[in-house]
Amino acid sequence: MMSQDAYLRIEGLTKAYGATNAVQDVNLSVNQGEMIVLLGPSGCGKTTTLRLVAGFVEATRGRILVEGADYAALPPYRREMGMVFQSYALFPHLTVAQNITFGLRMRKLPKAEIARRLDEVLEMVKLVPMAERYPRQLSGGQQQRVALARALAVRPKVLLLDEPLSNLDANLRQSVAREIRQLQKAAGLTALMVTHDQDEAMTMADRLVLMSEGKVQQIGSQEELYEQPLNPFVARFIGHSNLVAGELVDADTFRLPGGAVLKLAGRYTQRGPHTLALRPERVRLHQPTDDAPPRATARVEDATYVGGHVDYLLGFAGGGSLALHEPTGAAGAARRATGETVAITWDGLSERLFGSDEAAVAAQAA
Amino acid sequence: MLKGIGDLAEGSGSAAIRGNGAQLSARLLVGALMLVAIALMTVPLLMTAYMSVFADGVVTFPPSGYTLSWYGKLAEFPKFGQALGTSLKVAAAATLLSLLIGVPASIALVRLNFVGRGFLNVLLLSPLTVPGVVIGLGLYVLLVEVEIRSEFPLTGSDGVLILAHLLITTPWVVRLCVANLMQLDRSIEEAAANLGAPPGRVLWSVTLPMMRQGIVAAALFAFIVSFENIEMTLFLISPGTITFPISVLQYLEYRFDPLVASVVVVQTAVIALLLLAIDRYVKLSKVV
Repeated sequence: MMSQDAYLRIEGLTKAYGATNAVQDVNLSVNQGEMIVLLGPSGCGKTTTLRLVAGFVEATRGRILVEGADYAALPPYRREMGMVFQSYALFPHLTVAQNITFGLRMRKLPKAEIARRLDEVLEMVKLVPMAERYPRQLSGGQQQRVALARALAVRPKVLLLDEPLSNLDANLRQSVAREIRQLQKAAGLTALMVTHDQDEAMTMADRLVLMSEGKVQQIGSQEELYEQPLNPFVARFIGHSNLVAGELVDADTFRLPGGAVLKLAGRYTQRGPHTLALRPERVRLHQPTDDAPPRATARVEDATYVGGHVDYLLGFAGGGSLALHEPTGAAGAARRATGETVAITWDGLSERLFGSDEAAVAAQAA
Repeated sequence: MLKGIGDLAEGSGSAAIRGNGAQLSARLLVGALMLVAIALMTVPLLMTAYMSVFADGVVTFPPSGYTLSWYGKLAEFPKFGQALGTSLKVAAAATLLSLLIGVPASIALVRLNFVGRGFLNVLLLSPLTVPGVVIGLGLYVLLVEVEIRSEFPLTGSDGVLILAHLLITTPWVVRLCVANLMQLDRSIEEAAANLGAPPGRVLWSVTLPMMRQGIVAAALFAFIVSFENIEMTLFLISPGTITFPISVLQYLEYRFDPLVASVVVVQTAVIALLLLAIDRYVKLSKVV
């Protein structure tokens, strides 16, 4: 995991406020040109992590290495990071051009170079006609682009994005997300972005870091987090999962507290209390009379047609429930009525089992 | 401001046509209260202006005629030039000095975390809680005691007056600048640091320019508070040098003629012009 040649490396980063750790022992290596998205519910420590990297918050412990040099002790103005703030944080008393060149003037670049870079980034974010305007004369989307241009102009070592899309209209978000991603790729910039929005994270990231309660829960690609969640939190947060508590009584028999029995797809050596994670869209509905042996039978408690799929809520005899999404328009799909008894199946790749210590349990090789 | 009230009155007029009874009476009540408030503020001013054109040497009602000649006699008002000059000089100096103290103090109070921050805050605002008469008397007693011991003349000097006025202007500067700073987005200063500006540069290039409106408002309040102060100043003037409001007060002790009214009108006009001039640079409706 910790490659020695990583461009940005965060080691054991911790920020304590009194007895509580806002960020606890975060380890992360980022390759050059990679876009890493820190994702998690509010208060999970993702923003604090970003502010630690920017230098606005002083780390209690840990190292922040860029190309091997430790930045953790440097003040923010020596870190050469480019940050885009959630509120954009444009200088209200300066024009667009003055905002963008602020960092260049701080670096005391020659006038000709400043003018050249200004033209370059204005072109990039398509704001050439707005150069002499003040921030208050711009729309939210334009202000956001000025903030991005200002960060890009200094050619930062790392681009930091704090919820950059959260103040934009919903219909603008997608196009701006694409734009940011294109600019970041074109400039070959290494970037850290913070968001609480899963869709945003999924579309923007090369890799995701899912955090909760100050700790990293899982680092990986979209697919890894979705298909191989390391713990129930990841399974529930990314794309939602049914989390069913029960007991492994046999290699492939999972008994719910109410007595209902599910036949698992994999075979397990462990026994005792476990949590089964199943994605609603990976569970299939059958007539109870179908030839394929079902994994379980259940009763339809509720069925809601939501366009792309029908949203079923199934109840097991004796208690326990399961959400299930059946695509509409699929061959053989028929609406089940409330109260009907149905059979359900899923395959081994869609099944994920967690032990009582929340760690994922692997199935035996077939 | 008057235009805004006109709009509001119009708004309530059109609401009367479509609105229901309760809404209508509520709007009428608001309108009536506003009229009362405007009257309370403007009637004394209008009355003063009205009196300043009475022809009679003693203010009587109804006047026997009208004249603008009192305005030609402004120079005859005792100590008019000296009093106005002293007041402007003291107010300007007190404003400048209180900005030099208050602006850095408010930045420290809002942006830094240090031991004794709460104490400093209370200390800087405390003169607001003490009546001007008490401050004036206290300062006078202190000055006399110091004079007796040091044999150095203090009472009645402009310097002492300026220092005393600093006591009553600084709390206003601190209050307004603190309020202004609290509503500024802190991440703007972080953005400057992120772009490579060291702390001093952030302060000079970002924080202070963003505080411009608060500083102008603070200067304005400080100037007016100093210019119109009577109760504290009464204890600190010498017979030779008096301030403008005190010259009006002294005049009124012996005479009540339209000349004093015209003097007050001129003073009001000067302040109003000052406000209008500042309003061109900083929208006062935004800062006060």
